[in-house]
Amino acid sequence: MTDARPVSAATEEEFERLCEFLYRRTGLAFTTAKRYYVDRRMADRMAATGSRSFAAYFAALRADVGGEVEQLVNSLTVNETYFYREEHQLRCLSSSLLGPLAAGKRLGEPIRIWSMPCSTGEEPYSIAIWLLENWPEVDRHEIEILGSDIDSSALAAAAEGRYGTRALSRLPPAVVARYFECTADGEWRIVEGLRESIQLGQANLVNSEDVARHGRFDVIFCRNLLIYFDDASRRLAVENLYDALRPGGYICLGHAESMSRISALFEVCRFDDAIVYRRPGGKSHG
Amino acid sequence: MADPARVLVTDDSAMARRWCRHVLEGAGFVVEEALNGIEALEKVLAAPFDLILVDVNMPRMDGMTFLRTLRRQSLPQGGIPALVASTEGGEQDRAAARAAGANFYLVKPLTEEVLLAHVAALTGRLA
Repeated sequence: MTDARPVSAATEEEFERLCEFLYRRTGLAFTTAKRYYVDRRMADRMAATGSRSFAAYFAALRADVGGEVEQLVNSLTVNETYFYREEHQLRCLSSSLLGPLAAGKRLGEPIRIWSMPCSTGEEPYSIAIWLLENWPEVDRHEIEILGSDIDSSALAAAAEGRYGTRALSRLPPAVVARYFECTADGEWRIVEGLRESIQLGQANLVNSEDVARHGRFDVIFCRNLLIYFDDASRRLAVENLYDALRPGGYICLGHAESMSRISALFEVCRFDDAIVYRRPGGKSHG
Repeated sequence: MADPARVLVTDDSAMARRWCRHVLEGAGFVVEEALNGIEALEKVLAAPFDLILVDVNMPRMDGMTFLRTLRRQSLPQGGIPALVASTEGGEQDRAAARAAGANFYLVKPLTEEVLLAHVAALTGRLA
């Protein structure tokens, strides 16, 4: 579970057939730009239905065995991520976390933020956009944002920075206008300057060398990943997260996750906008 | 489920209005039409809209004047997102539209994909 995600064996032609089928049945339009995303969900459904090949799964889907059309569509829509997800944490970042962290920096020393897992890039770009829009001190500090994921195809999609309108639904129009360009096929691409402002690098959270390679961070966003690990892997992942944080640095988990139930390494910090976890030590106190 | 978003299509060309109506209604948006800036102002002040799509060259009141006038009003309607569509694609035209208060500037001829992407993004509503 922690090392590899299942990958669908669909060829390009099969993938197109699937998209056409979904479009006809549901009106949901998935293009090759969404291939990574669809593949991952389909692989989950293939595993769930015990299908050994795309052909077998597609046959079951067309026959709607066990309501499979709805199952697949649910998995394709419910968990889709979007910009400004869990906005309260972003607000916490700009209003509570960054000020004291920045004050503890030497001149020119960067504030480092890690989005892990970053999937197809919505989170690291959201962090960048949020800070540009909402942190008055953004121009006075060097900020490094790294997005990492175990999956290189997700990182490739993040680098490409193309998204459907659905992913933008939480963004104010002015923000869309400033940071996105509409492509000829009606998708939205992050403007070049912003694409270049974030770094992307592969990492497996249970591999300590992998994690150490990226250096230490002031803030880590690790949302909705730990829930997928078993106990042993989760402990390892949390130790790696601890090592990847500078003393006094913060970690933000998904809203349904609690570090207190996993590890005693971190202090709980209750801010107005969010509960976050802090590696003890350092200068800043939340 | 939110009500469908309401879009005011402002263009002196009947063909352009008809095409926009066809595309937007087909995607589930509610469309009203205005033939020029004066009519658009009257409609915006009379009923709520989620988005205005506005042509630049129109008789009686052009699109830029309409937008500047709308943005100057200290009314809730003053902040309605606006898409300007024009046959001119120069940087000066874009800058003028931004200065007048356009959220986006589109160059005609529009495609269905590009129009829908902008309307959906600006209304926050997926058709």
